[in-house]
Amino acid sequence: MKMLSMKVLSKKILISLVIIVCPVLASSLAAQTLLIKNAKVHTLSSQGTLNNADILIEDGLIKSLGKNINSRADNTIDAQGKEVTPGIFAVANSIGLVEIDALNQTMDAVTADELTGASFSLEEAFNPNSTLVPHNRAQGVTRTLISPAYGNGHLLFGQGAIMSLSGDYHPVIAKSVAIFGSFGERASNQAGGSRATALKQLQTLFDESREYADNYQAILAGEYRELNHSIDDLKAMQAVIERKTPVVFNVNRASDIMLLLRFAKKNSIRIILKGAAEAWMVARDIARANVPVMLDPMNNIPASFESLGQRIDQAALLHKAGVDLIFLGQGFQNTHNAHTVRHSAGTAVSYGLPYDVALKAFTVTPARIFGGAESYGKIMPGYTAELVIWDGDPLEVTTSAEEVILAGKLVDKTTKASRLRERYQDISTEKNTAYRK
Amino acid sequence: MITKLKPLTLAALISAVIVSCSEQKEEQHDKDKPFASRYQAQEYAPVFIKNATVLTATGEQIDNGSVYFKDGKIVEVGEDLSEPGDDDLLVIDADGKWVTPGIIDVHSHLGVYPAPGVQTSADGNEMTAPVTAEVWAEHSVWPQDPQFSLALAGGVTSMQILPGSANLVGGRGVTLKNVLGRTVMDMKFPNAPHGMKMACGENPKRVYGSKGRAPATRMGNVAGYRASWIKAQDYKKQWDAYNKSVENGKPGKKPKRDLQMETLMGVLNGEILVHNHCYRADEMAVMLDIAKEFGYKVSTFHHAIESYKIADLLAENEVCSAMWSDWWGFKQEAYDTVAENVALVDKAGACAVVHSDSAVGIQHLNKDAAKAMTSGNKMGLDIKPKDAIKWITINAAKSLGVEEHTGSLEAGKMADLVIWDGNPFSVYAKAEKVFIDGALKYDRDDKTVQPSSDFDLGVLKPQENRL
Repeated sequence: MKMLSMKVLSKKILISLVIIVCPVLASSLAAQTLLIKNAKVHTLSSQGTLNNADILIEDGLIKSLGKNINSRADNTIDAQGKEVTPGIFAVANSIGLVEIDALNQTMDAVTADELTGASFSLEEAFNPNSTLVPHNRAQGVTRTLISPAYGNGHLLFGQGAIMSLSGDYHPVIAKSVAIFGSFGERASNQAGGSRATALKQLQTLFDESREYADNYQAILAGEYRELNHSIDDLKAMQAVIERKTPVVFNVNRASDIMLLLRFAKKNSIRIILKGAAEAWMVARDIARANVPVMLDPMNNIPASFESLGQRIDQAALLHKAGVDLIFLGQGFQNTHNAHTVRHSAGTAVSYGLPYDVALKAFTVTPARIFGGAESYGKIMPGYTAELVIWDGDPLEVTTSAEEVILAGKLVDKTTKASRLRERYQDISTEKNTAYRK
Repeated sequence: MITKLKPLTLAALISAVIVSCSEQKEEQHDKDKPFASRYQAQEYAPVFIKNATVLTATGEQIDNGSVYFKDGKIVEVGEDLSEPGDDDLLVIDADGKWVTPGIIDVHSHLGVYPAPGVQTSADGNEMTAPVTAEVWAEHSVWPQDPQFSLALAGGVTSMQILPGSANLVGGRGVTLKNVLGRTVMDMKFPNAPHGMKMACGENPKRVYGSKGRAPATRMGNVAGYRASWIKAQDYKKQWDAYNKSVENGKPGKKPKRDLQMETLMGVLNGEILVHNHCYRADEMAVMLDIAKEFGYKVSTFHHAIESYKIADLLAENEVCSAMWSDWWGFKQEAYDTVAENVALVDKAGACAVVHSDSAVGIQHLNKDAAKAMTSGNKMGLDIKPKDAIKWITINAAKSLGVEEHTGSLEAGKMADLVIWDGNPFSVYAKAEKVFIDGALKYDRDDKTVQPSSDFDLGVLKPQENRL
């Protein structure tokens, strides 16, 4: 295995990236250290981008960042000017919850259980051994916000959790960081066919959530009128009405966005807009309400009558109006190929979005909004060493992740796909591929 | 030039029309036929592009290159050519810019699955029987689909619109020039052969198996294709005999027309090209054996996720593979992805094509090709933009049977080309100007040269176009 993979390393890579592994003679008490030399570091902090900077990593954390760090380390990487960013934070996908989309038995991000709405949480269903974990990790994704897929008949249909792509059995970084919901054509469809009834149902959920807060003892004792929502769902909603947890609304039409802004104000809740095809048409209102937008910057298809305004330069327009942006990956491939979000970000840049805003939209911005920003998303001392060394501009289609560092350690980039490629890259000599390991 | 039409038999006429003929007379004749192309190239001034980096798609990159075209055709391509003397010559200084042939997508559903994607205009999949060779995608195409213009802004000058993949045989595909027209006939690529969509694997067996009818398995799929070809062979035999009797001056009884069989016979006659949705390598090999059994050729395997496993076999059979750079996992037959698929197929000497099957993807085929190139280079191959550009131009043209007319920048070919604002193998690159048959059909810097479909008018704000 090892020899095979060495063979396929191109000369260029061998020359440009020399990893020196020094034997560790010290006792097991010594800290595990990794030193990255001569990198172009996108700190995503007030320090901006540093050239020829070194990063010293100790026990999974960034210990120091600066020029000419001459500390002895267990591993040293000469990055030779290559670019370093935080690991990609993918959002709103089903990594670890699905193997093959079309095989329901491999899909845990959706439930038909009508009793479970806002309380539907997924983190326990996460499978760290899914092939999607190493596939995305090898290409720079280090954490993800998993989210429920629409389907259980509720307008608010479940909770998101932030998961590590470490591959170990303790992947939860933070749970219940958001509740996912929907408003517009699909929501109306399940709420009797009209936006008006969907809005009414939504209001009922919030009214009952407050009733629960005020009367939970009577409700739990069965001494209260019958409610439309399960106890579990009403419990889950408490963090929302207390403004601790935001609601991510899938919404597209400008008038629906305005409706939700009013709804959020009236109910005093925090919301995030997802999809948001026509957000640019009401960008100032969104900015004034301090509501972030989560969108796929590649999507410019007027795919429905509620997304007629979908356009390719929407990210730049929203940014100009002062709206915080989080990027989704490309369409239905946002799970299997969540890593390609960086290419979407590059496209947004080509349509006028400032570079650093694009980079932050799949790293530090989602961390700031959903959680984890105290230790991830910036490259500075004290932060977790969750980094990618890119062999070029991280937003560029001709760039690859050269090294991925998670919890301070270099990630093994082997994937099912890389194994298949090794097996089949030369089929000219021997036909029986089944014995190629 | 043929100046007079010789008397032709029906079969010969069909094949003469379908096989590449650009002669005026025949084109006119063709136009009288039902559903024939009524596309007319727009008249435009002669154009001279200079100081560009030119990817010809013949394997060359010309720095400081010039491209001269006139009357819809490319006249000359080379390094630092001297300016021609046409009075009305339009000179474009493309310093810092790149020129490529127009992008060609061999797999699109624009028009048959238009935007907005509502049931009332979802017309791409005739899921009512496993073999619907009788349906033609062009009879579903809605020319006002706003997605055509989006694809144009991505540099796409031609595309094949295919029926969906629910059926063993889904029907005929049509190759269009990416020009807005009032009718689909105004968009049809003149004299391009029809395609015929076939589908392997999961889709047909799921769609029909779930209705409790054949096919419900992959072996059922194969039995279904073979049964159809047996019928088609019989049909062809009847028509061959009839045509021969006409030629001999003693016309026999004319066989009854059967639209389904006409399409299949078109394949057996080599006039219609097979475009076969097929993911798994082992299934592609089975499909090649079916082609052998009935004496036809597969032009292209589409979505060919596993082509890398049998790249040698595909090269040997001269079959193209149309692929994505990285899509995978949406169904089991798309599980064995490798990012090097396109590069490995190319390396084996087989025809590699990057396709979209997506209204978003079609706008970024240059980036998808760039990703496929990068993966190939990462494993140690040496693929340059001048090579990779073929995957979305000349190889796509080959797949569609229009390579004599378009797909590369060579004298005499249709002047279908794109001026990019930089290296097209970059995420930041955008098509700046798109020429189709020598006429400027899209200009990023000039709103008046950005087409809007009827749908785009007044639908967001009454006074404005959608974008």
